[in-house]
Amino acid sequence: MVTFKINDKEVQGEAGEFILQVARRYGIDIPTLCHHDALEPAGMCRLCTVELFDGRKTRFVTACNYPVWEGMAVYTDTEAVHEGRKLIVELLLARCPEVPVIKELAGQYGIDKPRFKGEQDDCILCGLCVRICEKMGNSAIAFSGRGVDMKVDTPFHVQSDVCMGCGACAEVCPTGHINLEDISAQKVAPIPSEYDMGLKGRKPIYIPYAQAIPNTPAIDRDVCMHFRAGGCRVCTEFCGVRAIDHTEQDETIELNVGAIVLAPGFQPFDPSKNGAYAYQRYPDVVTAMEFERLLSASGPTQGHLIRPSNGQAPAKIAWLQCVGSRDIHSCDHGYCSSVCCMYAIKEAVIAKEHAGADLECAIFYMDMRTHGKDFESYFNQARDRHGVRFIRSRVPTIEWAEGQQALTIPYTDASNRVVRETFDMVVLSVGMETPPEAARLAETLGLNLTEGRFLETPTFQPVSTSKEGIYVCGAFAGPKDIPQSVIEASSASAEAGALLNDARGTLTVAEEIPRERDVTGERPRIGVFVCHCGINISGVVDVPRVRDYAASLPYVEYVADNLYSCSQDTQEIVKEAIQEHRLNRVVVAACTPKTHEPLFQDTLKEAGLNKYLFELTNIRNQDAWVHKDHQDMATEKARDLVRMAVARVALMEPLEEYALDIHQKSLVVGGGIAGITAAKNLADQGYAVCLLERSADLGGQARSLFRTWKGEDIQARLNDLIDAVTSNPLIDIRVDSRIFAAEGFVGNFKTTIVSDNGREETVEHGVTLIATGAMESEPREYAYGDDPRVVTHTELDQRFIAQDPSLKEIQTAAFIQCVGSREPQRPYCSRVCCTHSIESALHLKELNPDMRIFILYRDIRTYGEREYLYREARKAGILFIPFSVDQKPHVEATEAGLRITVLDPLLGEEIAITAELLSLASAIVPSGDETLARFFKVPMDGDGFFVEAHAKLGPSEFATDGVFLCGMAHYPKPIDESVAQALAAASRAVTLLSRQLIRMSGMVAHVNPALCSGCGVCVDICPYGAPALLAEGPFSGRAEINPVLCKGCGLCVSSCRSGALNLRGFGEDQIMAMINEI
Amino acid sequence: MTTIDLNKVDPYFVRDLMNQPGGEEIEACFSCRTCAASCPIAAINDRFNPTRIIRMTLYGMKKEILSSDFIWLCSSCYACQERCPQGVSITDIMTLLKNMAVKEGYTPSGIKAQMDLIKGNGRIYPLDDFDNKKRGKAGLPPLPTSCEVVKDLFS
Repeated sequence: MVTFKINDKEVQGEAGEFILQVARRYGIDIPTLCHHDALEPAGMCRLCTVELFDGRKTRFVTACNYPVWEGMAVYTDTEAVHEGRKLIVELLLARCPEVPVIKELAGQYGIDKPRFKGEQDDCILCGLCVRICEKMGNSAIAFSGRGVDMKVDTPFHVQSDVCMGCGACAEVCPTGHINLEDISAQKVAPIPSEYDMGLKGRKPIYIPYAQAIPNTPAIDRDVCMHFRAGGCRVCTEFCGVRAIDHTEQDETIELNVGAIVLAPGFQPFDPSKNGAYAYQRYPDVVTAMEFERLLSASGPTQGHLIRPSNGQAPAKIAWLQCVGSRDIHSCDHGYCSSVCCMYAIKEAVIAKEHAGADLECAIFYMDMRTHGKDFESYFNQARDRHGVRFIRSRVPTIEWAEGQQALTIPYTDASNRVVRETFDMVVLSVGMETPPEAARLAETLGLNLTEGRFLETPTFQPVSTSKEGIYVCGAFAGPKDIPQSVIEASSASAEAGALLNDARGTLTVAEEIPRERDVTGERPRIGVFVCHCGINISGVVDVPRVRDYAASLPYVEYVADNLYSCSQDTQEIVKEAIQEHRLNRVVVAACTPKTHEPLFQDTLKEAGLNKYLFELTNIRNQDAWVHKDHQDMATEKARDLVRMAVARVALMEPLEEYALDIHQKSLVVGGGIAGITAAKNLADQGYAVCLLERSADLGGQARSLFRTWKGEDIQARLNDLIDAVTSNPLIDIRVDSRIFAAEGFVGNFKTTIVSDNGREETVEHGVTLIATGAMESEPREYAYGDDPRVVTHTELDQRFIAQDPSLKEIQTAAFIQCVGSREPQRPYCSRVCCTHSIESALHLKELNPDMRIFILYRDIRTYGEREYLYREARKAGILFIPFSVDQKPHVEATEAGLRITVLDPLLGEEIAITAELLSLASAIVPSGDETLARFFKVPMDGDGFFVEAHAKLGPSEFATDGVFLCGMAHYPKPIDESVAQALAAASRAVTLLSRQLIRMSGMVAHVNPALCSGCGVCVDICPYGAPALLAEGPFSGRAEINPVLCKGCGLCVSSCRSGALNLRGFGEDQIMAMINEI
Repeated sequence: MTTIDLNKVDPYFVRDLMNQPGGEEIEACFSCRTCAASCPIAAINDRFNPTRIIRMTLYGMKKEILSSDFIWLCSSCYACQERCPQGVSITDIMTLLKNMAVKEGYTPSGIKAQMDLIKGNGRIYPLDDFDNKKRGKAGLPPLPTSCEVVKDLFS
């Protein structure tokens, strides 16, 4: 260690360090133009000249390359130094009068006009570019010439083949002199960012995207200069924890596992394969994924919607649907990608939100497929409220409208005339496809792929592959949206859980936690740890100053600053400090509690402290990151934050976390396919189940269904399932039974079941699965009920099951879609009917190939690989006639048959069909009732379907803990999706059951009964039912909080007018103490 | 507005068409309108709409199609066929429909006149010495004014 003085202040440096390094560490500013931390100092610009007093005389040295020595005295800002620098800047300004950095320096030194002869150069010959190029391992440029002719150049002044276009020279050049095109023979382009769809560049070291797991940077070896040229390794100089190791090699890791879940996902279709869309020719033709990035606040334009061709705001945008989907001609994707209709609508609505309502959005489609929950009403709103145009016409080509600087597309309008319209941007709604490497994976594992190159799965085991123990989820098993992918992810883990049930818990290692120290009665002894977060915090906030300030605060016994407080070694330091200094409260001033609070709380627990004796104050996200330009004030704010945290933590008391045993039994309400599947999986995972069915038999709607769209016999599979549950000793089946009453909460439900014969019984269970299903509604139109030849789907299926011989005799049959669905009184799409009608029509064709069959539809919604079935039906001669909701078909029962008339929009004429059979695709309506919703405190939507916790991320559970959801009670769905969701609900339930006990947060509300007036506002306002008025005892009539149900939201606390309620950990005293410190 | 009774159309019309080369895939059509939007004829004359012709064919409206003059408007540019996402050979189907129309005796008089010209002269536009004189001025070799070979071909 070398001790010396800078500006009379004592500083310390390592031997071999230079003055500049030490000065910077102490925050002393020395200007420089030619310095770079990763390069050897060169002393080229002389701007860092300082005055050095060696005890006898004064000298001028360059700080960047003068080593420190014991006892020296350095002055960085004397009059002489200042004058010297001023002269250097003046000379530089004369040479480079237009360079911003020099002009700025000149301003600082008060130079108006240089006294020397002016030149028009922009290179200050600092040599940074030459040195960094050498460092890269390349030396494509060097100084050439001598004296006044000296310049930076390539050999022989020609574009260099040696240059790899890394751009390091341009990056370090302080003046902007370097032009890569002069140096490199190859075309230099930024490394395209995969996340931003190539609309933006990225660095060779990068985090793929903000949510990437693990969220650590990786080096792209294909573009990293170290791997290309052998030099560089600049990153290692900057990494504070020396985490970068360029010698690391790929390794093959062998794992022994009992099950494999495949989730390799999809890739978007590359539209450059379709030349007619001119995707590669016109920058304003973008894919939906690119458009998604243009709309994103984290995208290349920060969410400002612009045309890539000219950076102007577009006035008109068109979306073309089915690009790379439903197309077997320009690509081999015969399937529907399922998600594009919905994302196109979403993009159009968001684009209008970003750019204003004047933005014109038009979506060109074949069939609008908004078959998901709440999707249809979103579609209606986009059209009616946001004014998005929907045009039923597939667009064949995109052309450049010369002179208008816009794109022209031809299409046919509602009157079937060909129209040409220009748009500023065209978005291609590209579909999904299996990436080649995923297809290879399937091949390696010997798994079958479908015609569309997705993994083949059976309807009743939608996440199982052809090999036992290998499961699949997500878009690899067919195109699907987020909710269905999330459902399948849980389903796959349910299947794996059942398979590996015997091994459950065998590899678990119990955590050893020391006994908690009793700190009652102890005076607060607070430890404060201030984090540098590398340079994230210390680059702005003066961390040592904050640390020293913390030491002056009341009750603070120990302070420290750490480079990375979250690192493993810091946890050890914190633990040691707690023990050595008998700390009983800890404050960490670092980043966000969202990510790091649990880590520090674990450290406290390991040190024997209650985890609530802790406070994390965010001096990074809420201070250093947002106040970069005001360093002094940021330090001041960090001091304020630390002072508040110390005030709060001093009043913190150890809190108790209630632990609650979870009853290991489950109640499944509803004995349809979903209920049976969920019960079976729970039993397969080793849990007892009570399966409740209100009718006399298990099976639900599936009892009257004939065949799946994949051709599987539903009755045979259903009977297998019923046999499996009836013979399973863990499953207690109650038919003819209903719920009479239910009470309790997660882990401890008590449900009273009453059977049709009047027997009443109470079942105790830890979790509840709601699978009450849905059913076909009774049509009220198209002569249903008046004529026996008009039937519904399930009625026709029952005739198929019964092998009704009269079906063969039918000459003409018709189907009408959307009977009671997608209408103002019932706006949702029933999702299954299109596929069902087509499957039934194909079966009729099997029975009598000469039968003429017509399907009258509004949009055919054979999503995913069901599209193949639609094509098969057309190829079988089944005719599809579209109609609109305001011109519905008319049905008249005559003796000769059912005379159906409908306007054909393409011909503009009325079509008449006389059929002997008319099957109506009647809407699916939920069968659950509001009492059930009340019993388990779960919400229902306006249509009567239960509302899941989160449409995308929590589709199989309720916001109410311990209650789960599956099957058609959630939304109409086909069998494969019901089975998947049943498995998902079981899987979510097992995550709770397998813990056996749950710990509730200690931060819950509590009542001071002496102050409570018993008004009951808290009881009414609590969304979780935690408060209740006591019925007996000394405080009868006063409120009490059940800590198990309380989520600590504080609603009751803020609404209590008696001040009787308080939230533990957020006490009024603590909040006031923090406010008082501001 | 007229009503088209689909129980009274020709149920064998589509089958006949599908049995001929080029007609096989017609049923795959899902009326996406790609062909109509691609069609240079449809762009200037809305009586010609390939999507509608395919639909009428699928309905079995044999008489209405074969007796129509619009099937003769197709210029055989193949834009529709190149772009049909379902691989329907639309241009080939137009040719088949024209052939079927001729077989059924529905040839429009203009087409008949053209056919007679070809049979007689081997060309729709007969050449004479005046044309060859102009060709000569333009530096082009003369062409034969009659094509006797064509007569042999048709006989």
